[in-house]
Amino acid sequence: MSQRKRVAAVGSQTKHFRRSQQVVLDEDDGDMSLTQPTSSQVQKARENFTPVQVDRKVAEVVQFILIKDQKKIPIRRADIAKHVIKEYKALYQDIMKRADRTFEQVFGLKLVEIDSKNHIYILVNKLQPVPGEPISMCPGNPKTGLLFVILSIIFMKGGTVKENVVWNTLKKLRVDVGEKHEDFGDVKKVIIDEFVRQKYLEYVRIPHTDPLEFEFRWGQRAEKEVSKMKVLEFIGELHNQEPQSWTQQYREATSVETSQR
Amino acid sequence: MENIKIWMAWWSPEKGWDPLVYAYLKLVSPDLRVPCLHVIIVNGKKFCKYGPCSKLTGIVESKMCCIIILLHSLKQLESGGAVIQIKTTITLYKRAVSLMSDSRRRVSRGSQEESASHANGMGGRSRPDRAADTGDEDDGAGPSGIHEEDDDPARRREIRSQYRDLINSVQQNREDMLNPANNKLIDVLEEANKLFANVRQAREAALDAQLLVLATDLGREKASQLHAEGSSFDPSAFAEHLLSFMGLNRLEEEEDDQDGCLYGYLPPDAWQRLSKRAEYCFRTAPSFHYMLGSFLAEPPPPRQRVERQRKAPSKEAKRMMPTQLKKMEESHQEATEKEVERILGCLQSYYSDDPQSPISYYEFVVDPASFSRTVENIFHTSFLIRDGLARIYLDDSKLPCIAPVEEGEVEPGGAAARHQCVISVSPASWREIIEAFEIKEALIPTPKTLTQEN
Repeated sequence: MSQRKRVAAVGSQTKHFRRSQQVVLDEDDGDMSLTQPTSSQVQKARENFTPVQVDRKVAEVVQFILIKDQKKIPIRRADIAKHVIKEYKALYQDIMKRADRTFEQVFGLKLVEIDSKNHIYILVNKLQPVPGEPISMCPGNPKTGLLFVILSIIFMKGGTVKENVVWNTLKKLRVDVGEKHEDFGDVKKVIIDEFVRQKYLEYVRIPHTDPLEFEFRWGQRAEKEVSKMKVLEFIGELHNQEPQSWTQQYREATSVETSQR
Repeated sequence: MENIKIWMAWWSPEKGWDPLVYAYLKLVSPDLRVPCLHVIIVNGKKFCKYGPCSKLTGIVESKMCCIIILLHSLKQLESGGAVIQIKTTITLYKRAVSLMSDSRRRVSRGSQEESASHANGMGGRSRPDRAADTGDEDDGAGPSGIHEEDDDPARRREIRSQYRDLINSVQQNREDMLNPANNKLIDVLEEANKLFANVRQAREAALDAQLLVLATDLGREKASQLHAEGSSFDPSAFAEHLLSFMGLNRLEEEEDDQDGCLYGYLPPDAWQRLSKRAEYCFRTAPSFHYMLGSFLAEPPPPRQRVERQRKAPSKEAKRMMPTQLKKMEESHQEATEKEVERILGCLQSYYSDDPQSPISYYEFVVDPASFSRTVENIFHTSFLIRDGLARIYLDDSKLPCIAPVEEGEVEPGGAAARHQCVISVSPASWREIIEAFEIKEALIPTPKTLTQEN
């Protein structure tokens, strides 16, 4: 019995070896094509690894994602597979499902796939902030304010806004894109590079313009992470106006709110 | 919403696309290939996707057909909120119709005049030809049948300059024109209409089209500003509210406020304050940090090692090369100098043995045992000549002789009397010389023995 087990283990090892070679080959293409393993493959993999091993992998994935999330740059499935999952590839779905459960039950976070084609994930807070309660003990990151201003303008202007509108508004707020800012440093870089890479914003060229013109839209992370209703409520608060007075925006915010529930 | 584009083009069953109009469209947009037809009006019947153009169809009735292609703009028309958009479109439409009636006339006339071709009478027209298709001077199409008034270059230049001014002013006052509070866009279009009354040729018409594209784009933008329902959103008002929220102290020097170059009046934690409040709109996952700080994840990059490996050999190589070179140079130069001195010694000793009898240059230089030695001797001897330590002269039978220069003689003999010549020696001529001069042994002993002695 034990002998047979050993033989099976050796066999699976060579198999894994072959599989990991496959992984290396795939990486050359830039993205890993994680083909759906067949149920028999999954079954075999489940037998090959002890529950303790799989638990460990899950913990590793959770830690990997938490650390990756520090910079708020979306996490690619290919990276998770390459750096953590490795030879557990056949169990990818299992492991990710369990990792997601850990995020939800232990951390109150949610793992969201924002791009189902390229398999890109972000972490979102599942817990609603309690009004009046501080969200974190850390002092607020001033960049959140900057991002809020830009997202608000885009949202209130119907989803897209020319970059000039954003730059002009920021100028009124004493933020000059051409100059170094005390809180933000190179503001333009923060906006069109950092926020865009974090998928808070999209910065796209307007076709058929000469000279080139760009416009801003909400990025995928913003759609998942930012509540349009709350933005509208805050804007209403600032203007001393009811959020309902912006009919179109209010309608949009409500429809998003209901569809998410 | 993409950029709006409005194309007008003419098509007739006999002629297909009017090439001039097509070229005119190309001017407006060089990337035009196959126009995208959204609204088509052909011979008074409409074939269109959107409703509102039915208002326009009644005007068209002709054998030619006018095709108006409106991309995206009609959605605006449907919503009914975009007044300016409609005006722009109607202006465009009128323009299209007027251009079209001209081309219609041209076609009907064209059939009559085809036989007469270029030689048609100029006075025959009741009204100046308004078509933008009679050929441009720049195209070299020839001024066939163009009314004198139409072809006045000064007048055309003036029209063009007026168009350009108008286009410039539109481009420069873009923001101003977008202001919902004024009707400047319509003023521009009306002015363009006035200008167009005098347009006769394609070149001016192309400018007109350029202006229209610009105006339409502005129209679209302006229309998008009009919110049919609800309050409008003004970013500058928003900015003012934000500033109040962020704790701007307006009491201090309010005039400067408009410049936007204020700094000190906004408290340093202004953005923090905004962030604190804005965070309630975000469901950002709190980021994870180690209590004692995270260690630097990257190990010291292996780049360093590579550098060291690369640097070490390159340094050695650098050190080696110069020493080797120096040695070579030194030894070589020394050897040459020594050789030259040795040969001078030989020459002087032969000369002092018998100062009266001339020493034949060839006899002196040639080594009958070795061609290469001969060449070396010639080479070294040339230094003696160059330095003025020896001289070569021709004896009575015109054969070169060599003699050392006495020390006192060096100065006066110097630069003035110097000549240069190139001596070529081949093994064949070397053998000839040996035979002719009956050279039995070398006057200059081989240095080999010398170096060996050293």
